[in-house]
Amino acid sequence: MPLVSALAASHAPNILLEPGREWEDFMDLHYSMAPQASANRPTFEQQKKLRQDAEAAFAVLREDLEQAKPDVLIVVANDQFVNFFWNNIPTFFVTIGDDVKGQFTRHSFHYRNHKELGKAIIRAGMDRGIDFSYGEHIELQHTQNVPLYFLLREAKIPILPIYVNTWVDPAPSPRRCYQVGELIRAVAENFQERVAILATGGLSHFPGSPRIGEIDETFDHQLLEVMRQGKGKSLVDYSVQDLLQAGDTEFLNWMLVIGAVGDAKASYTAYMPDFVATGWGFVSWRSL
Amino acid sequence: MSCYDLSRLLFDLKMKETVYQSSLKDFERVMADYDLTTEEKDALRVGDPRKLRQLGVHGMLCLYIKRLQSEFRDNIYWQQK
Repeated sequence: MPLVSALAASHAPNILLEPGREWEDFMDLHYSMAPQASANRPTFEQQKKLRQDAEAAFAVLREDLEQAKPDVLIVVANDQFVNFFWNNIPTFFVTIGDDVKGQFTRHSFHYRNHKELGKAIIRAGMDRGIDFSYGEHIELQHTQNVPLYFLLREAKIPILPIYVNTWVDPAPSPRRCYQVGELIRAVAENFQERVAILATGGLSHFPGSPRIGEIDETFDHQLLEVMRQGKGKSLVDYSVQDLLQAGDTEFLNWMLVIGAVGDAKASYTAYMPDFVATGWGFVSWRSL
Repeated sequence: MSCYDLSRLLFDLKMKETVYQSSLKDFERVMADYDLTTEEKDALRVGDPRKLRQLGVHGMLCLYIKRLQSEFRDNIYWQQK
């Protein structure tokens, strides 16, 4: 069965943090790496407006997801030193446990994990030269929890967390991520259930860097335009360094979804720089 | 040069409550449990994430040193991963 829905959305923590003190906390911490960035802090009213705009974008994606009636949602995200550390950094990791849990401030998350789909992807990869790491226990973190809060707050269907190393050097190439996406699409087409896929992260931001606060809006808009034109495959020629320079290494998560959708044109895109750290991006592909 | 132990200590400050609580009481003793150079210990004592980054630590791990500073202990960031 073909993929029934494909989505991509930012996972910036401040999307889910409350405007006001929680946003200020977030900025206080991040700007300790670059105090000059603090000069451009958004006002409380701007924070509330950003939250409303993000909720509106997520509402479109949630509607598209629900209309597709998926049986499982693959969530492609990066770990940020929660499950993986320098003793072992998997390039691509598939979760094969029974369930997955996580916490984000006052919000708890608990989903069944679709380990059968996970194992199907792992086995297909082994047949085609892509050897995934895998394991039974992971803890959900903001890279999954923020979008899931808006898209699948009730655990109506199982999810399947897949991790891409976008976080530490060396990271996989956009071309390799696209190939993994093609593999996932092939598995979904031969799977008995209705499979949806979500990529999280980005767009431009520089966490933990002296460049925190910079957002390469021009680069982000180019990426979104390419997706609207259905020419995502052209992005495989980017290098990791290109993405790094633009603060878009988490776009590697998105490259999996782009590989999965192939030439399909994005039917919905939204973009809003948060004036804090990140260009928030939201994309849905309705026709796959 | 690898800064694995320095990175590990910073990771543990966020992820292991026991390490965090012990560090509040006696950070020198906690540092002794890790294989750190004199330069690394000095950078931890200063508590400036920019200094830690210069030693090769991932930028996000560098921020975790702020958890020991009184004005950051109640920061909402520590309530999410």
